[in-house]
Parts: sequence; structure tokens; C-alpha cells
Amino acid sequence: MALERKDRNHIGDVVIIPVRCFTCGKVISEVYEEYKKRHTEYKTAIDSGEKPKEIPKKILDDLGVDRYCCRRMIISHVDLVGEAAPYE
Amino acid sequence: MKVDVTELKPKKAILKIEDTEPYFVNSIRRIMLSELPKLAVDDVTIYDNTSALFDEIIAHRLGLVPIPTDLDLLVPRDECVCKGKGCPNCTVRYTLSKEGEGPDKKVVVYSGDLQPAEKSWAITEDKIPIVELYKEQRLILEIEAVLGCGKDHAKWQPVQAPGYRFIPTIEIDKERIDEVKEFINELPEGLVKLKGDKLEINDIKNMSVLESYIDKANADFITIKRDSSKIIFSFETDGSLKTEDALKKSAKILEEKYAEFGKLLKKIK
Repeated sequence: MALERKDRNHIGDVVIIPVRCFTCGKVISEVYEEYKKRHTEYKTAIDSGEKPKEIPKKILDDLGVDRYCCRRMIISHVDLVGEAAPYE
Repeated sequence: MKVDVTELKPKKAILKIEDTEPYFVNSIRRIMLSELPKLAVDDVTIYDNTSALFDEIIAHRLGLVPIPTDLDLLVPRDECVCKGKGCPNCTVRYTLSKEGEGPDKKVVVYSGDLQPAEKSWAITEDKIPIVELYKEQRLILEIEAVLGCGKDHAKWQPVQAPGYRFIPTIEIDKERIDEVKEFINELPEGLVKLKGDKLEINDIKNMSVLESYIDKANADFITIKRDSSKIIFSFETDGSLKTEDALKKSAKILEEKYAEFGKLLKKIK
């Protein structure tokens, strides 16, 4: 089961961030890389017990992702292209 | 009718329209969703794809990439002089060719890697990842973009989240001002402000928040009135059209529809 789920993300199929928001159609994939970078900074700060520079809410606001339909696209995405890469 | 521009950025617009009716703003909204044309990738020829994603997924992702559209230069393919064969008047062509760079490096194919046949059609939203390439993986393809409209496929829908709301006015019972003050203390900070005996909301988007608080507290000393002749209309574009152009073109399409309807009515007489 664990193996089965490993190569799938929350919509069960795609392994790369969707180009647009499923609900409203706003292009959200272009901000994903920056979100991921800034979220890792936040995560490392939290793990080492420091106070993070910014919380995910602020990152999303900053990137212009206002509606909750677009925010869930980014928050809930699991990036797994690397895992699927060995298979052509 | 009176129109005030509250915000007009290339990708986001908010307009305040007064002395109008909801049906009018709604017809503009529906034209934007279903009949406003834009360019989108319609035909993909894949020469080589050894990446992790299937050909179909890559083609689908390319279809969703917004392509900057100049509506004065293009005609829909079925109205074109080339009779559907595809010519520079109705088709914009791009090519893409990228290869992985060894085992330890990840190469991301971005929408900006699409090379236009003519420089003026270069893609402005160039940071959209299409696929990631590892090792010796390769992606070589050629695409054709044509005009279409939202009623045929969502990829041809240039406007996102168009919507309108009536401008609300908040009235309070002046004799029960103490109760109002007590109620305001319970609200989240920065939601409303009290100016003398007038209650004002800071951001009109948060009206539903205030309403839910009023409902919860059964606050009958505050009434919210909505006037359907005063409307806030807001919409966003994906970058293929500017908001200004999108609005003007939608108005033109609506005008043409009325003109055609008028002509048909004359025939009946």
C-alpha cells in the first residue's frame, strides 16, 4: 500500500505541480518553486528551534495567492517527479 | 451609468459600477468566461519524449500555458482565408528542445523555453515548469497555438474568477449605540471601525465575516442593506490578455450580439 501511494499525490495521478488552480484557473505553478524554497527555510528554522523569518501564510500572501482554492493547490502538493524519473 | 476604476493592473481589475442592473454586469461576466477569444496550444507534435511524464500530460500542461494574445493580428482558424490549413494569420508556432545534463543534475523545462517562430510572440509567463529532465532524458516537440473561446475548452478562457457583488451599506440603531459598541469589541481586530454613529467596514471582501458575527449574536441593532444598482465588479486575467483589453473586447462582443439581435428583429417586421 505504501509503495502504491508513493508515486501518487493528492489527486492520485500527477507528480508535478499542476499548471493552474483546479477551481478558478489561476496560474499557480510559477510561484511554487519560490514557495518551496521559502518553506524549506521556515521548516529548518522550526526544526532547529529558532523563530522563523516568515510563516507559510505570509509567503502565500506575498506571492499573490489570495483565494483558498489556489492556496490548497500549493500547500497540499507533494512533489514527486524525481521519484518517477527513472521510469520512461 | 457611472464607472469608477478602483484597481486596474494588467492582471487584476476592480470596477465600481453605479446606476446599473445586475443583468448587465452578469452578461459582461458571462461573455468574459465563454466568448472572449485567446490563444492556446491546440496541436502538439512530439518528436522525442523520454521524460517521466506521458506525452498526453505534457501536451495538457502546454495547453494551459497562457500565451500573450494580440487580438487585432489574429483571426479564428475556421474564419481564416487558409480554410483551416493553418497560416500565420491564424496560427502561432513554437518549438522546444531540451536535454538532461547528466546523472546528478535536474533540468527543468519551463514555458519560457518555448521558442516562438516570431520574436513578438515570446511567452511572458516564462516560469511555468512543464517537466523535469534527469540523466539523458530528452524532450523535443513542436506546437501550434490557435484562437478559441472558453465555451469550447477551459484552456481558451482568458479571464479568471470574474464576479460581482452589491455594495452594502451598514445601518445601526442609534438608540442602542452601547450594544453596538459592545458587539464591536467581540469582532476580530481591524474588521470594522465606528465613526461617530456610523459603522464602516474596512475591507468590503470581509462583509461575510461581519454578517456571520451578526447572525451568531442575533444583533438586530445592525442592518445591512444592499442596493442592486451599485455593483463592484472584479476579475483577473491569466496574462494572455490585459484586463483593459479583455474588458473592452467583451463589451464589443456584447454590442455585436445586440446589433445582430436587432437586425433579426427587423426581418420579423
